[in-house]
Amino acid sequence: MFGSFRVGEKGKIINISKVGRLVQRRLLDLGITEGSEVCVKCIMPFGGPVMIESCGQCVGLRRKEARLIEVERV
Amino acid sequence: MEIALIGNPNTGKTSLFNNLTGSYEYVGNWSGVTVEKKVGVFKNNIGKLIDLPGIYSLNPLSKDEGVVTTYFLVEQVDRLLNILDASQLERNLHLTLQLLEYEKPALIGLNMIDVANNRGIKIDPAKLSQILGVPVVPVVARSGKGCDHLIEVISTSSNHSKVKKHVYYGKAIEDAITKLSIELFGRTQHSPRWLAIQLFEGNEYVFQYLADLLEPSKLESLVSNLESAVKQENSHVKSLENYIYMKRKEVIEKILAASVQKVCSIVPLSERIDAIVTNRFLGMPIFLICMYLMFMLTFDWLGTPLSDVLDGFLTGPVTTGFEKFLGAVHASDFIHALIIEGLIAGVGGVLVFVPQIFILFFFISLLEDSGYMARVALVMDRIMESVGLNGKAFIPMMIGFGCNVPGIMAARTIETPRERLMTILLTPLMSCSARLPVYALFVGAFFAAHKALVVLSLYVLGIVVALLLAKLFTKTLLKSETSLFVIELPPYRLPQIQSLWRSTWDKGKGFVRKAGTFIFAGSVFIWLLSYAGPNGLKVDMDDSFLAFIGNLFAPLLEPIGFGTWQAAASLITGFLAKEAINSTMNIIYFVPENASLQGLLSDFYTPLAAYSFMVFILLYIPCLATAATIYKETGSRKWTAFSILYALFIAYVLCLVIYQGGKLFGLV
Ligand SMILES: Nc1nc2c(ncn2[C@@H]2O[C@H](COP(=O)(O)OP(=O)(O)OP(=O)(O)O)[C@@H](O)[C@H]2O)c(=O)[nH]1
Ligand SMILES: [Mg+2]
Repeated sequence: MFGSFRVGEKGKIINISKVGRLVQRRLLDLGITEGSEVCVKCIMPFGGPVMIESCGQCVGLRRKEARLIEVERV
Repeated sequence: MEIALIGNPNTGKTSLFNNLTGSYEYVGNWSGVTVEKKVGVFKNNIGKLIDLPGIYSLNPLSKDEGVVTTYFLVEQVDRLLNILDASQLERNLHLTLQLLEYEKPALIGLNMIDVANNRGIKIDPAKLSQILGVPVVPVVARSGKGCDHLIEVISTSSNHSKVKKHVYYGKAIEDAITKLSIELFGRTQHSPRWLAIQLFEGNEYVFQYLADLLEPSKLESLVSNLESAVKQENSHVKSLENYIYMKRKEVIEKILAASVQKVCSIVPLSERIDAIVTNRFLGMPIFLICMYLMFMLTFDWLGTPLSDVLDGFLTGPVTTGFEKFLGAVHASDFIHALIIEGLIAGVGGVLVFVPQIFILFFFISLLEDSGYMARVALVMDRIMESVGLNGKAFIPMMIGFGCNVPGIMAARTIETPRERLMTILLTPLMSCSARLPVYALFVGAFFAAHKALVVLSLYVLGIVVALLLAKLFTKTLLKSETSLFVIELPPYRLPQIQSLWRSTWDKGKGFVRKAGTFIFAGSVFIWLLSYAGPNGLKVDMDDSFLAFIGNLFAPLLEPIGFGTWQAAASLITGFLAKEAINSTMNIIYFVPENASLQGLLSDFYTPLAAYSFMVFILLYIPCLATAATIYKETGSRKWTAFSILYALFIAYVLCLVIYQGGKLFGLV
């Protein structure tokens, strides 16, 4: 799961369907969906958002949504 | 000929627009800079170019994206100019495929070639053009490289795609497209295939459009039947929308395989910068340090000395020059007073702050163009979330530091209506540049030793009040759970001096222009009010109409520290434009030669009252232009009235606390 990832770790998304519909759609717009490789770039303190990178594109999203993305380490 | 610029956000559409039309529209390095349609004329007059907000797909989520879909459905587009970010080709091509389905002549501008090259991505435009069936022209919108060739291609070729069907969506969908096309035959001038696919993807705007032509229930059943058919055929499919996306993705992968080569991968500098500015612990302090430096430069190190020079020039040579001229033409006393005590005092009182305004705008432009803006949104999200907003709402607020009007417009990119409305209502609390002259005047008179700090405290106060109110509104008026925060973080770009200067000038010239028109006319009017009274002309100012009007409200202001008719009168003019407060004060407290208004003010205000006055100016009312924009963006009289009334209320209460509380603690 994404929740346990630390900065610099890479993974591949295997299931994104638990995330809210709108967030899912936005991530899809940015090319992030099942099968995408993502890397955690930074994690904001106090439960703040995370910044992930996929295909050279950095995206910020909330941690509670990131937790719902299922990822396997690569 | 009308050509529309379409592309993903932040791909350089507006940069190209400016380059091709020679105009200057708003450019910035984050997604969602352009929020409305802009029309320009090509430099060589071959037609009109239309700049639109950036979109990821024609199925909109937010209001600015809706602008584009509406444009597609309602207006006559002759040609599409699709701008692609060469460094993010895969994601960009999803939109391209949708545009080609629209079946209008199109061509592609392959932008950011420089960025792609730096990342080791090599694209073959000829191959891409061959696969897509439309011309592909590489450009660098920022420097203008390739633009001549682009214009040549626009004006010569016909550009109808040579390929008919780019994506085959599978039998079930293709059959449904055919079925709908037959029903639509002769009823619409749009491509039925495009309409059908957009409908299947769940595009609300297209649904509304089709509902006018066909039975809505029929459309709904068509879509739901299709969805179950597709799901039956492919067990892993989650939704129709997703299925269509995957089909496009397959095609795009083939296109990329044929036309793109990845030479090597380099870690971009961006990521190294990000390791610092969005660092867990450094993020917030860095932001605050940046703000602090900005204020020190604007108010202390650089801005104030420059303003003083300008002030010396205006009160010295300019005034003497006018005096001499008026003497030489034997102007009447009335004209003499009007020009010296009315116009020069009024307009000059605003113009002296031009250096500070420009420095502030320079920093805002720097913030916008570097890519830091989106990072600030990320850093601020945690705080914003706790009050029921999201980090993206901070972008309109930052823009609001320049001027509230574009700030409120920028709220269009916020996806959820509730958060958008809240951002619109709260952005006026951000201290805009027109309020800056008032602060500069007062801090100069009362807090000379801590200028920047006092002003910074006001800006921060504006933000804090906005956040507290957001919390309050979330709890009471605008309850709802939904909140959406996904933000694209663009790579940092080194701002170019030329574009920085242009965007600084573009923002600053509004201020100068306003001084020359609005403030000019206002100064004359106010001076007349102060010159005439119930007992005739040239009355003592305390018996003038202005004093009369001011005195009506002055008692109300007594408890918050400035119950003079002068303060009341300036506050009234401040509704028209905040900087008019300065003009009014300069006219009211007209100081002949060698004395300065700043010196004089200390006879009328105590430092505590001065601070209370500044807080009141910060919060008390959105100016006329802002109120009009709030009305335009919310489309509601109720919310517009609310935005004015709550601001007045909060300002009054807060000033009461500050002034009376301060007095209790023995401050004066
Ligand atoms: N390196 C590089 N930067 C570019 C190029 N074209 C544009 N930019 C930069 O990219 C950023 C975005 O440019 P805009 O023109 O505002 O992009 P836009 O597509 O209008 O963005 P939205 O209005 O938000 O959809 C700015 O910082 C530009 O300076 C280019 O060819 N190369
Ligand atoms: Mg733009």
